[in-house]
Amino acid sequence: MTQLNKTWLVAKWEFMHFFKLKQELIGKAVMLLIALMVFFWHNSQGFSTQKHKVAVISETSIMGEFELFEFNKASLSEAELKEQLNNEEIDAILVEQAMENSIATFKLYSLGKHSWQNDLINVLNTYYSAKVTQNLGLTQQQLNQIKNPVLISNHYLDTKVKSEDKNSSETAVGVLILIGLGIFVSFAQIFVSITGEKQQRVTEQLYACMDSQTWVDGKILGQMLLALKAMTSSLISIVLGFGFFQVILNGQTLDLSFIDWSLLPWFLLFSVLGLYLATAFMAAIAAAIDDPNHSGKTSFMMLPLVPMILTFMVMDSPSGLAMTVLSYFPLTAFAAMPVKMALIEVSVWQTLLAITSTVITCWYARRLAGKMFKMGMVMYGKEPGYKEMFKWAIS
Amino acid sequence: MQITINNVVKRYAKVEAVKQLSFSVQQGEIFALLGPNGAGKSSLVRMLVGFTHPDEGEIQVQFNDQIHSAIPGEALGYLPEDRGLYAEKTLEQNLYYFAQLHGIDKKEATKRMDHWLEKFDLLDRKDQALKTLSKGNQQKVQLVNAVLHQPKFVILDEPFSGLDPINQEKVVVFLSELKQQGMTVILSAHQMSMVEKLADRMLLMNQGEAVLYGDLTQIQQQVGVGTQLTVEFSAEFNVQKLSLALNNFDFEALSNNKVIVNLVNTSQVNEALTQLMTLGHIDNLESKKMDLHQLYLKAISDHQGAIQDDAA
Repeated sequence: MTQLNKTWLVAKWEFMHFFKLKQELIGKAVMLLIALMVFFWHNSQGFSTQKHKVAVISETSIMGEFELFEFNKASLSEAELKEQLNNEEIDAILVEQAMENSIATFKLYSLGKHSWQNDLINVLNTYYSAKVTQNLGLTQQQLNQIKNPVLISNHYLDTKVKSEDKNSSETAVGVLILIGLGIFVSFAQIFVSITGEKQQRVTEQLYACMDSQTWVDGKILGQMLLALKAMTSSLISIVLGFGFFQVILNGQTLDLSFIDWSLLPWFLLFSVLGLYLATAFMAAIAAAIDDPNHSGKTSFMMLPLVPMILTFMVMDSPSGLAMTVLSYFPLTAFAAMPVKMALIEVSVWQTLLAITSTVITCWYARRLAGKMFKMGMVMYGKEPGYKEMFKWAIS
Repeated sequence: MQITINNVVKRYAKVEAVKQLSFSVQQGEIFALLGPNGAGKSSLVRMLVGFTHPDEGEIQVQFNDQIHSAIPGEALGYLPEDRGLYAEKTLEQNLYYFAQLHGIDKKEATKRMDHWLEKFDLLDRKDQALKTLSKGNQQKVQLVNAVLHQPKFVILDEPFSGLDPINQEKVVVFLSELKQQGMTVILSAHQMSMVEKLADRMLLMNQGEAVLYGDLTQIQQQVGVGTQLTVEFSAEFNVQKLSLALNNFDFEALSNNKVIVNLVNTSQVNEALTQLMTLGHIDNLESKKMDLHQLYLKAISDHQGAIQDDAA
């Protein structure tokens, strides 16, 4: 059996070890159930033709039907109206008060707290806003001027900076979030997988079947596939959720124009490389941990998230020195370069340079993980110190 | 010779775990590694399987007309001291995974798996998770796992530990079958009665050194005791006369009328009895061959004494 076949076999075992079809289906069924509940709740609200009856105690205030509300001038006393409210003959009583600082002021009585009360406030605001505009003799245009007095369009002398209509920051941020999710999944599972095998004492039997590098390669590949599965599954859920709200609930067409399809292949390539690098690094750390309950090295496994955090911190200045350094630095390029590509024009050679540096780092991280596993086997149940780890890393 | 160990030394920091060790293992034999805890057996095993390498000396393994510095992975069946399998997976899943790693296809793996599981009365449980089995039964699954790919060399570290006497006998039968199939078996064990039944040859280690090496007869000769005579006289004997009469023998007076005489082999019985009869009337006589357990204890005790003498 070739090393490649063994690597694939370990990867398949790793994937199937953590992939639980039943749980996946239950998760999706729960999401569908939630969507159905939202849908029916939304429809029940939307199709409700019954208007909320509001008795108004005022000489000059709102009267008539507005959206879901029917405002009627009260002919009874406040006490009698409260009696009607208690008997649920009306839904609310609106009592006009003296104006405060030229603002119309009301007291609202209702039986309890209801979701439609916010809608009522919106209706009143709209009504009084129109009334004030009319009283002041303003046109709609003048009103808009008051609301939005300044409008700025950005123009950059640096031609590399993309104009806002070409800006793909949503796609870049989305990809970063998905990589982060993948790293989290990979972090949790590779840690459990490697230290779990040590706890179950399977490692010596495995090491007798294959070399440390084959084992590590299989682990990394299997965990990457799991992380990609989680990322794909989350992406599908997000798109379906977005579609559900946009198309089914709001009755609009599905608009995915915020995704920059031309950059997506590059982003996916960086995602895969980033995921590989992070998984290999975490495999190396996990391989050097003997007892997960007492090892101080566990915290090092969070390090792969640092490139994401740094990129988020500097993404406001995509042409700046920090972003330039991060986009080529081998350990951060997978996170920084896609964001930079989304925000400014980047030459192909720059992208290829970032990819090359990441690929070399991935290869080194993979070798490092293999060495750490071998070190664990040689040290036979004793957790290596940082000095030994360093010695093996450079060997 | 299939495996030759020449002057092998293994050190961990300042501790010399294996000291100038030399021996050989022949094709198709069951070879036992014996010794107290910390004797260096596991260090030796880890070098044989290639996990670690000797600091001095060399290991030569003949396989496929080539000489290797350790047993090659494809020829190795290994049951380590620190062992386990995937507890939440079924017996079949565990065994099939390892068989696949050794390049065995599913049909062949299933055939071999069923054969061995039936021998260990576990065939009807192969669809159950490993964790549902008792510790002893898990141990048997691990033994099956070590040989499913029919390796040329099988190294078993403590194959009897955790097993009841009935299952220990089953392992004896299992190991005999491995030998019949032409596998070379190296086992490390503390159950001397099992080793005595099974092993063609053995190596007794203590503090990293070889103490005894060879088959049982050779071991008896090396210890200097093969048969033990216990003689009881009807009256007290004269100690000076006793010493004079048994001048050529190793003996120990248990009381003033009872003595134990250690003989290298049965050919010395007549000579010893002739001498003993000169001391008086023998009331009772017992003769027994020393078993491996006793030989082991005596050899370790003698070796410890020699080390202490050297230190002094």
